[in-house]
Amino acid sequence: MHKNNTKLILLTALISISNISLAEKAPFESSYEPLPSTNTIFRNANIYDGEGNEFSETDLLIKDGKIIAMGTDLPGSPELIEVDASGKWITPGIIDIHSHMGVYSAPSVSSSSDGNESTSPITADVWAEHSIWTQDPQFALALKGGVTTFHVLPGSANLIGGRGVTAKNLQRNTINSMKFPNAPHTLKMACGENPKRVYGNRKQAPSTRMGNIAGYRKAWIEAESYLSRLDEYESKSDEAKEIGYKPKRDLELETLAGVLRGEILVHNHCYRAGEMAMMIDVAKEFNYKITAFHHAVEAYKIADLLAENNICAALWADWWGFKHEAYDMVQANVAIVDQARNGTGCAIVHSDSEIGIQHLNQEASKALSAGLKAGYKISKARAMKWITSNPAKAAGIYEETGSLQVGKNADVVLWSQNPFSVYALAEKVYIDGAIAFDKEKGLVPNSDFDLGILNPTKNRIQE
Amino acid sequence: MINKNILFLALLIFSANTIFAQSIVIKNATIYNGIDDNPFSGNILIEDGLIKKVSKSLIQGDQVIDADGKIVTPGFIASATEIGIVEIGALSVTRDDESNVYSIGFSIHDAFNPNSTLIPWNRSNGITSAITLPRNTSSPIGGLGSFFVLDSNLNIDSKQDMVMIGRIGGSSSSSRSEMLSLTDDILSFASSISAKDVRTNTDIDSLIDSSSIADYLELKPRDVKALFKLVNENMPLMISSNRASDILKLIELKKKYNLNLIIMGAQEATLVSRQIADSKIPLVVNPINNIPNSFDELAANKNLSSRLEDAGVLMMFNYGSHNSHLMRQGAGIAVANGMSYGGAIKALTSNVASSFNIEDRGSISPGKVADLVIWEADPLEPSSMPEKVFINGIDMDLTTRSTRLRDRYTKNFDKPNTYRN
Repeated sequence: MHKNNTKLILLTALISISNISLAEKAPFESSYEPLPSTNTIFRNANIYDGEGNEFSETDLLIKDGKIIAMGTDLPGSPELIEVDASGKWITPGIIDIHSHMGVYSAPSVSSSSDGNESTSPITADVWAEHSIWTQDPQFALALKGGVTTFHVLPGSANLIGGRGVTAKNLQRNTINSMKFPNAPHTLKMACGENPKRVYGNRKQAPSTRMGNIAGYRKAWIEAESYLSRLDEYESKSDEAKEIGYKPKRDLELETLAGVLRGEILVHNHCYRAGEMAMMIDVAKEFNYKITAFHHAVEAYKIADLLAENNICAALWADWWGFKHEAYDMVQANVAIVDQARNGTGCAIVHSDSEIGIQHLNQEASKALSAGLKAGYKISKARAMKWITSNPAKAAGIYEETGSLQVGKNADVVLWSQNPFSVYALAEKVYIDGAIAFDKEKGLVPNSDFDLGILNPTKNRIQE
Repeated sequence: MINKNILFLALLIFSANTIFAQSIVIKNATIYNGIDDNPFSGNILIEDGLIKKVSKSLIQGDQVIDADGKIVTPGFIASATEIGIVEIGALSVTRDDESNVYSIGFSIHDAFNPNSTLIPWNRSNGITSAITLPRNTSSPIGGLGSFFVLDSNLNIDSKQDMVMIGRIGGSSSSSRSEMLSLTDDILSFASSISAKDVRTNTDIDSLIDSSSIADYLELKPRDVKALFKLVNENMPLMISSNRASDILKLIELKKKYNLNLIIMGAQEATLVSRQIADSKIPLVVNPINNIPNSFDELAANKNLSSRLEDAGVLMMFNYGSHNSHLMRQGAGIAVANGMSYGGAIKALTSNVASSFNIEDRGSISPGKVADLVIWEADPLEPSSMPEKVFINGIDMDLTTRSTRLRDRYTKNFDKPNTYRN
């Protein structure tokens, strides 16, 4: 192996600064800058704060990108825009924990099908952000539905599909300038039918569910070995490092080792109860944590187990039947997960759909209604957590967003009426305290794709 | 064994008769009858499976159900589904929507499974009947759909082969121009078929031999009979198509062959809404879907239904299969984006009945079959569910496999789960 001492010294210096980070300097760092703040005071709003509370006739002040105050009769100021929110509702910006926007862009054509690197069952080296087409016209549609932050995952063809990315819903020309600053990286894993079908059809492993489990375990054994080599190297003195060899970087194992070090959050596509339980065992065997199971149509069968292990379940309100492992759908799934172990469960309503992401409020409403019919007592204010603070926690960005706590980013939606109604429309959407969508004023982002494509003088959508 | 069956049958007939003998009155209902734009307070008399009377004054009956002011609508009709012929999407052994032998005349009718779990599920969400369609074939037109009553009765209540389907648009294999030409050629052939050509299969075989297009498409007697029916019996031809220019070409074909044309998808219909309205072509649209999913659907927009309504276009709503009932949510979204409430209810009921020649259903008026839903609240709010669903005048059980699973995991934890309910 060619040895370059200067480079090595530089690398060593960087390692000692970052201490635990695997890559010496995080590549593809966020360069996100918010839009100029729209300092605003909302008057007499009904508010769901994303923490499970409801307030009526309450004022909300956002300034310099942050939530400054919530209360009655907040003092005004000439430099603030006053918005009369009487009879309207305010919620935190909606967060979708499962999106494929940008990696499966619209129109859905082969040239934009970039979500599954289905050439090998373990592709921990690929990053969804590297597939994202930032001109996808779907971002703006989601924004009109109140979505301020979204988490894009690779698809589910592979056992380990690659890294996910969390982004702000402000369409820009580069993904780096949309990436949520300092959001942890995530890892997509997938159980069940998809990997075994994709690879089994090619007469290669995995072709069975037991093949799936063996596949994960083999990958984690490699990761453990890589991590111990890294740890050993990093524990050496500076002098010893200079004369020793640094383990060669390996993109796949860097990602897996990042999970084992607790820096990368695992998001695991998994439908069946028994398989989720097995994935929990795999996680225990290799000492990593599963942050959330996604889709989890059978989560209600093991809701207590999920709550005990502090694992969220990201769910649809009612999708079912498109494959065998999605057959046992129960509409109260979200509510059952939420109510497990005396209400300590973590339920999330996700979309996995460019249509569903536009009305996650309605999806939460259906899930809530089913929960009430199942006999649970759940408030709308609590159900609002399913599409705000809970996905924020699962994306590792709860300190910054996901609720209207003072000091957090001012990601705010003003709704025409109660957002649990199908008739509610997002009227104004703020990201980091800056207005990004204003229905009344016709402030709507249009991607490059939307310009002049049907009629040279017009945008694609005529409001 | 035989005796047992006869006894069972006798019991069935007996119990059915006792149900029919009873008249039911739904009183204090807020009635959206599927015809008028606005609701009215009234009472509905159901007898022998039919709506006998709708009145603002009190009606007497054997059984009286107090709707307590709640909304009553006709049972919703799903206009384009796979209900009954696809149980699990990804499992081809549970799919009966394709044929390798027949094309234009492929009928899914006999594959319908009244025990499918999709039926109670959609019924419990207010869908009382559905038009079930095969998958599109390689031919631009072809495949026959049927209408089914969703009462889970093995003695199937249906209208067989009441629509032919097709598709015109962008494709990875051939030009849309080829599709349109081929459609023109097929329809030209269909128009040339006379009654004596289709008397026997031998007659049909010789007709096929004499037609280059029939020969090229390797048509079978069933295919030819379907084409004869299409042209001579005013059978609806429902073409999936989205691009504005394609829709205009379809309007030309409708005029040329005097077709009973329905267009499904129609994402760019707003660009040609006047021509669609003038040609009186009903549309099947999914108001939830505003994704420009292909280069044919660039004008997709949430205000589609509202703008088409303004232009005077007759619409029906659809939404996939397993959750066909989500067309309710679609209707709610259409209303949120400017469509009239009464118009949205019609798009779920009477517009489907009138467009597809389902004369006996789709509205709450005397003489119609009693397919009715009493809603706990606003039917266009997806959070609100039916309280009661009547099909053929029978008060249906609203249990589903899904509610059984729910109850197993939320109630009675005294026993291991496999021994519960």
